[in-house]
Amino acid sequence: MSGEAGRPSLRRALLLWLLLPLVALIPLTAALIYGLALSPALDALDRALTDTAVALAEIVEFKDGRVALPLSEQTARALRADLVDETQFAVGDPEGRLLGGNGALLALAPALQAGQWQFFEAALSGQPVRVAAHGRPCGARAQQVCAIVVAETLGKRAAAERAALLAALLGAAALALPLVALALLAVGRALRPLQRAAAEVESLTPQRLEAVDASGVPREVAGFVLALNRLLGRLREAAAAQRAFVADAAHQLRTPLAVMRVEAAEALATPHPPALHPALERLHAAAERGTRLAQQLLALARAEGMALDPRQRLQPLDLEPLAAGCAERWLRPSLAAGQDLGFELEPARVTGHPVLLEELLGNLIHNAIEHAGAGARITVGTRMEPGGALLWVEDDGRGVPDEELALVWQRFRRGREAQGLGSGLGLAIVADIARLHGATATIGAGSGGRGLRVQLRFPPPGSA
Amino acid sequence: MHILLVEDDAPLAESIAAAMRARGWRADVSARGEPVPASLLRDEYDALVLDIGLPGIDGLETLRRVREQGSYLPVLMLTARDGVDDRVIGLEGGADDYLVKPFAFSELLARLHALVRRHEFRRSETLSLAALRYDSAARRAFIEGRPVHLTARESIVLQYLLLKTGQVVTRDQLAGLIPGWDAATSDNALELLVSRLRAKIEPAGVRLRTVRGLGYLLEPAAP
Repeated sequence: MSGEAGRPSLRRALLLWLLLPLVALIPLTAALIYGLALSPALDALDRALTDTAVALAEIVEFKDGRVALPLSEQTARALRADLVDETQFAVGDPEGRLLGGNGALLALAPALQAGQWQFFEAALSGQPVRVAAHGRPCGARAQQVCAIVVAETLGKRAAAERAALLAALLGAAALALPLVALALLAVGRALRPLQRAAAEVESLTPQRLEAVDASGVPREVAGFVLALNRLLGRLREAAAAQRAFVADAAHQLRTPLAVMRVEAAEALATPHPPALHPALERLHAAAERGTRLAQQLLALARAEGMALDPRQRLQPLDLEPLAAGCAERWLRPSLAAGQDLGFELEPARVTGHPVLLEELLGNLIHNAIEHAGAGARITVGTRMEPGGALLWVEDDGRGVPDEELALVWQRFRRGREAQGLGSGLGLAIVADIARLHGATATIGAGSGGRGLRVQLRFPPPGSA
Repeated sequence: MHILLVEDDAPLAESIAAAMRARGWRADVSARGEPVPASLLRDEYDALVLDIGLPGIDGLETLRRVREQGSYLPVLMLTARDGVDDRVIGLEGGADDYLVKPFAFSELLARLHALVRRHEFRRSETLSLAALRYDSAARRAFIEGRPVHLTARESIVLQYLLLKTGQVVTRDQLAGLIPGWDAATSDNALELLVSRLRAKIEPAGVRLRTVRGLGYLLEPAAP
């Protein structure tokens, strides 16, 4: 799959819809944890302030119409004692006069009803403090209230806030990280069958249009894959029909061409007006070429059909007798062209298809006979090497210009120098059949830089 | 020569038959295999050319029926290029040789000549090519009636080459004929033997070609 930017990505969309809510939900969760953790801690601290105020309230005395605070220095120290914070207190009589403690603190106290509690934050001598204020009834009338005020600095509260914040952050992280990881994993896993199917489709070629494996593909994508497979099926059928047509047409052409060959050869062999001779020669050559072309088209259709049909198994065979068997067929044409066709044969085991390999070799030899020119020496060779069998056809003839070497494998392309009867299909067939056997074909100048050498290197037998 | 050609494609069969007649042969054509066994009983033929792909019973079945009635007639099978297995089955089924379509007409004639020669040889123990005649029983060769002196090994090789006229005979095949020789040790000896033999028989208007790296081919000098 090409990952061009700008193209909508399924993966990105899925991750977006999964992760965007998390971006909003995770801070919310963190805030909730923070609030839930902090509020009881602050309540407990307020309650500790209350305890101090209640203790003070118990010390206030009302005797003979007078309010007093009989507080010893030790008791005052005990009330102010705290490991972390600085604690201050103040007690005022119903008229607002200071009975004991810090006068500035008493000034912070609001008006209080009897038994009322108030908590607030304020600044005491430049320091922020938490204040608890209590109205204690004192005096004859119920309206008479003594103010009891306790304040402490915010050290414990700040520590509680830090602890709550840490808890919130850890909680949010503990939630967010697994969720993000799971989302990535889930999206990756869900998309993997799709990527596998895409890779399978990617590996298809016109010669190999196999159905994509739909097992394991999720239901939502299976419909697409199955539709693709039906399309591939129709393509296969169309390709098979086309091959069948080519094969049938070539087959039908063979007999009339064979008749033309026989008749033209006969006409040439019987006494005839010399003026007719060039025309008869051309007729004979055209019939030969047509026969060869029909044969090659058949071979191409067969090779392609075989590449598509895994039932057509390749079998172990030896190239040496196969090449020797070609001698009789090609000896006369090479003699007629004034050439010397020879052999350098050694056993060469391959895994292959005998008819197609014979066709391949026939094309190579025919090609050499057509192009090497009169007087050329053509040699067919087979040999076994550690890496696999070699098959080559070499001549010392005209050769092919370097700039045309790369093009010779294409169908119906004939070298500019070519003057023979070749159809231009020969080397294309060689390339097709070589590919089918997993063999690599190379073409280049022959030994000593003269002529042409086409060589095929087959994979070791049994490895294909 | 009298040939029965069994080929269902009428224009092709007629072309081949006409070309045979032009060489002074007699050629009959049948488009189907069924009447062939009866035709062979009725007429004296020298060879049967049998296409494997026929309507009705195919060439292999026709061959089976021909052999069943005890005929030893030389049979040349014609097979489509794709039918590799046909060749094997055909030879196992009693055919003497096969030819792969599409073939050159000259190839068909050469094969038929060789077939008939082998067949004649089984009857008369003599083989002829151009002005060369070889008497197998006496192991003697003649050019226009004049005897040619051959060593024992040369006559073994010549007989085999004459039986395979027009066909490539490999060095291994020839070396295997000679007692005590094998392919590995005899390349030079065989080359020497063949070149001596060549000098002795080529005046008869035959050609003994060397197929470089593979073997030899005996044929008439001017086909």
